[in-house]
Amino acid sequence: MAGTAAFDPITFEVVRHALTEATEEMAVALRRSAYSTNIKTRADFSCAFFDRDLNVVAQAFCQAVHLGSLVHLVPIAVRAYGPENMGPGDAVLCNDPYLGGVHLNDISLISPVYCDGELFGYVANMAHHVDVGGGAPASVGAFREVYQEGIIIPPVKLVAEGEIVEDVFRLILGQIRSKRETAGDFRAQMAANATGARRLAELTEQTGIETVNTYIRELMTYAERRTRAEIAKLPQGEFTAEGYVDNDGYTDEPVRLEAKVRIDDDGVLFDLNGSDPQRRAPVNSTFAQTFSACAYNLKTLMDPDIPPNQGFYQMVRINAPEGTVVNCRPPAPVVGGWETHARLNEVIFKALAPVLPERVPAGGKAMQCHAGFGGIDPRNGEYYCFLETLAGGYGARFQSDGPDAVQTHGQNTENAPIEETERYYPVRILRYELVDDSDGPGKYRGGLGLRRDYVFLDHEVTFTVLADRDKAGPWGLFGGEPGRQAYYIHNHDGTMEVLSSKTTIDVQPGEMIRYETCGGGGHGPPWQRDPAKVLSDVRQGRVSLQRARRAYGVVIDPEHLQIDGTATATLRTTMQRQGSQDDYGEPGAAQ
Amino acid sequence: MSEARYRLGVDIGGTFTDATLVDEGTGQLWNAKVSSTPGDPSQGFLTVTQQILDRAALAPETLRYVVHATTVATNAIIEGKVAPTALITTEGFRDILEIARQIRPSLYDTQFEKPTPLVPRDRCFGVRERLDADGAVVTPLDETAIPHIASFIQEAGIESVAVCFLHSYLNAQHEQRAGEILRAHAPNIAISLSSEVAPEIREYFRASTTVINAALRPIVSRYLENIEARLRAQGIASELLVMQSSGGLMTFGDARSRPVFMVESGPAAGVITAAHLGESLGRRNVISFDMGGTTAKVGLVQDGTPRITKDYEVGSVAQPGSGGFRAGGYPIRTPVIDLVEIGAGGGSIAWIDPGGVLRVGPRSAGADPGPACYGQGGTEPTVTDANLVLGRLNPGYLLGGDLTLESALARAAIEEHIAKPLGLDVVKAAHSIVEIANVAMINALRLVSVQRGHDPREFALTAFGGAGPLHANRLAHEMNIPVTVIPTSPGTASALGLLVTDITYDYATTLIERVDRLEPRAVADVFTDLRQQGTAALAAAGVASDDMAFVQHVDLRYVGQSYELTLPYPDGEATGVDFGDLLHEFHGEHNRVYGHSVPGEPVETVNLRLTALGTIVKPPLLEKGAGNDALHGAERGTRRVYFGEADAFVDCPIFDRYGLGAGAVVPGPAIVEEYDSTTVIHPGYYATVDQYGTLLITRAANT
Repeated sequence: MAGTAAFDPITFEVVRHALTEATEEMAVALRRSAYSTNIKTRADFSCAFFDRDLNVVAQAFCQAVHLGSLVHLVPIAVRAYGPENMGPGDAVLCNDPYLGGVHLNDISLISPVYCDGELFGYVANMAHHVDVGGGAPASVGAFREVYQEGIIIPPVKLVAEGEIVEDVFRLILGQIRSKRETAGDFRAQMAANATGARRLAELTEQTGIETVNTYIRELMTYAERRTRAEIAKLPQGEFTAEGYVDNDGYTDEPVRLEAKVRIDDDGVLFDLNGSDPQRRAPVNSTFAQTFSACAYNLKTLMDPDIPPNQGFYQMVRINAPEGTVVNCRPPAPVVGGWETHARLNEVIFKALAPVLPERVPAGGKAMQCHAGFGGIDPRNGEYYCFLETLAGGYGARFQSDGPDAVQTHGQNTENAPIEETERYYPVRILRYELVDDSDGPGKYRGGLGLRRDYVFLDHEVTFTVLADRDKAGPWGLFGGEPGRQAYYIHNHDGTMEVLSSKTTIDVQPGEMIRYETCGGGGHGPPWQRDPAKVLSDVRQGRVSLQRARRAYGVVIDPEHLQIDGTATATLRTTMQRQGSQDDYGEPGAAQ
Repeated sequence: MSEARYRLGVDIGGTFTDATLVDEGTGQLWNAKVSSTPGDPSQGFLTVTQQILDRAALAPETLRYVVHATTVATNAIIEGKVAPTALITTEGFRDILEIARQIRPSLYDTQFEKPTPLVPRDRCFGVRERLDADGAVVTPLDETAIPHIASFIQEAGIESVAVCFLHSYLNAQHEQRAGEILRAHAPNIAISLSSEVAPEIREYFRASTTVINAALRPIVSRYLENIEARLRAQGIASELLVMQSSGGLMTFGDARSRPVFMVESGPAAGVITAAHLGESLGRRNVISFDMGGTTAKVGLVQDGTPRITKDYEVGSVAQPGSGGFRAGGYPIRTPVIDLVEIGAGGGSIAWIDPGGVLRVGPRSAGADPGPACYGQGGTEPTVTDANLVLGRLNPGYLLGGDLTLESALARAAIEEHIAKPLGLDVVKAAHSIVEIANVAMINALRLVSVQRGHDPREFALTAFGGAGPLHANRLAHEMNIPVTVIPTSPGTASALGLLVTDITYDYATTLIERVDRLEPRAVADVFTDLRQQGTAALAAAGVASDDMAFVQHVDLRYVGQSYELTLPYPDGEATGVDFGDLLHEFHGEHNRVYGHSVPGEPVETVNLRLTALGTIVKPPLLEKGAGNDALHGAERGTRRVYFGEADAFVDCPIFDRYGLGAGAVVPGPAIVEEYDSTTVIHPGYYATVDQYGTLLITRAANT
């Protein structure tokens, strides 16, 4: 209808901008008033607006993982609670993984927006709380049931007519270790919704609720129209790949994921049939998480200008059989579902690589890589919890190297500044640097992983690694080789113990935990890499001389750091015949 | 004649070098404009200076101050043409710039790149030393490591070094010692210590700020020394000052050692202009709106003071829907006037997106080929073309007739690219282009006002830049801003800002302490120390002690938060400061900005800030000769102009601005034309001309 007489392009722009801005403003309010480093600094949250029929209309992202998950959760939670039970000034809290939710740490707050007594829609935000109770501080760990993972909050009213429902608030905080910090984060979530509701009320007052509703529908058909046009440009057919999460956290058995991506005139179907049955271990993904993964993959293939509203989301079609790791049923634990989610992103990219080689990267970090710990802070005797996720190498691309030390796919959380971390949490960070030689060799190389060392000087902590990539590094594409795997290490009693990627341990004063995250996979055969680029990597210390020779077939004179052209040509001819002899070195070799 | 009472402002932009000269005593102004000379900017500087002195018939020695705004620093960063620089940091952390914030600048782009660090990895060195989170020494500085680095630096031809150790914002000892050793072993290298440049918590941001400072020092030094030498050779003995990003001035000498404070030198001037005009007109709450050919810039002045941000990234653009995220540039933590800049200018191109919806910008036709109506080969329709089709621009009188516009070309471009595909008539299409550009600008106005807790009804909108006055009335209407201020010569008004601001030095010290445990004495000691630093710097810049002023602020937050609110900290005897009042103000401000406050929660201080001002006399605005309040002397007949309010073309009176005397009242609809701009007064509004010749547009009483 964008060309018809009734359509006013000006009003369309007004409504579009105002809705996006309202969610943006929510994000600013949430971030700036939050207490935990995870929310205020690392921005682990997102905000959205839904119309009265519970279609998502506008979103402000900090984290793309919330892209699909908030969209999935809000309609289910509101219907479960009953829209008629939500009045002006109310806000409903929910994190139930089996009512549209994800893992328990991601708690959503949903508020109705009224205009002159008439329901206009809902504002909602989802934020990752550092602690929600359960079996280990920061509520990450390998458990066997969801009930061990922390407090499950079905839709309940946390705010009634603008006032906090103290009984509910106390009950929730009663389950949580870091109470003051968590209370501050909840208040920030309330502030975000109040801000959004206020802004939207202004919009409907100015423009008229019916006009706004008309253009909301218009916005959704607009997004759908553009999404369809983009999908029509994709190659048609069915494209399949498989991949594995390295272990499930309870057994050492890899978790198989399979994706068949079918692109035809009807759109894109992500058929995940063939993925493993759910585990009694933390790697299960709820449908919301799986939906979020597929929506992310589709979004990367679209014009980034397409607004992410219902018109786009309804084009994401998924077949995820119930009772599998991509659509788990209760009481399966879910805290590590994001690990599966991230790997699913890569399996889908891998499936599409043969037909869209210029659009998809080789394997990259593609895990959440949580470091969670807590204990009694010796400075004040209070229980503290800390959580962060670490970056790794990005996969190499069609015409460029994978960037070093960066978050991948749905995850884009910032690092916790060392000075802030040491000031507010009783920990010392001894090292934070790139892991040299961790790149997956290729014509374009994968990005480097990073290393972070935590030391606890004066108290005992419970530390959880919830990550992956401890058996194999991210795959390469088109002859590129895998990146170096990740290592999680516990230094104690003069020994260096390599930990599983999903484990909770006690750490004594003076002991150290070290993360070395994985490098990204390469793209194209390594012996085709421009020797000048290899030399540059050597000069910059990213790649060692030995590895330049063994992985890339580039011989460099160690004294003058110059390429030996003849030796390189000979070596590369042999390599082309026999393949490279890659090795990545042992953990900590780069001391 | 020989009395040094003239002040010269020179603003070097990408295309033009503008100069404004003012007589401090009378407020009389002169303007000049020459083409910029990117190969040697000092050439354009000199040419425009000579031109304006000739125009005003003044000798070089009559200049008291020369104030300069420049994009040299920003351009060096954006174009990657910074000086060869090294970074020294704590062992184990030399990849601080490589890792940066570990995030991607765009969420869905699989082909993204992180910004290239300004110091390559092989020039980043970790040195053994360590402080803890309280600033206590855990590992002493390994002094023997520094001479090795110094000799590497000299051999590698590195010109500048940044030093940033962990927690040095609390204890500068190790950085200072490292600096001393470096200086002894490599005396010609410029050294920037993070504890001096940006002594604030969060190592990456401090390191980034320090590295930018270091990487700019040789560039900015050479640039300013060159200008200084040429000016001196011309007999100009005046004080030489540079506009800082904060809107204050500093000497050339300080700019050479602290160039990171002037990265946004150019854009700051416009907001200062708006603040100054507002002050002169008795309006201390002003939103500044500066619209040129490619972008529009919006800033906010509250109570006479421009809003300052410390959350700034050089060379990055915030993406819509990203929650205010930026990660495409280089963060700095020095005060920068808070501006929202959007890709909406006269040259912004209108287009139809793949979903069939009309969009405007951010692509611009620029100066070449320019809008279709320029007749220089541009075929895509722009905002200027749309304004022409609507009759708002005079085809024969742009730049006083120096530029003629071809309406037929504008119509053809809009017809072909917009009207036909959308099934609209050309006028409706042109109107939509203008209004959609307005929507983007309204959004920017909302960002600086409503989104930051300011009610636009309490502000005046000051519009300038060539295109600002064309759109301002409409924006004010949509935003419920009661009055729109159009200064004289809007096209060059921004350079006026260079001449009406003070010499300013900003200092900060981190003092993290709960307010209920705060020792008034400790706060007083910090401020005393900062004041001594400020006094020394001002004295060195030649400011007399009578002209010195100091402003104190404190950053406060709830214990646990990371973002602070900055509140004025009362001057005078520290022991007399009532912390209860301070807390009360904090809760109130938190409520205003975030919509809630928690009076029971503990509050902590973070930084104590002091701004040292060397006040310089502000030239008065020049009063227009009183008298001609009749309109007939200014009438230029009528033109058919389209107004959305009427949904039709109406016979609209056209006025010559130079003919409008103080007291004149121009009822809308009307168009006021002058050499470098055109003001549109919408139906239902009227403009009055005040004693300075400023147009004040307000809503007519009965609408």
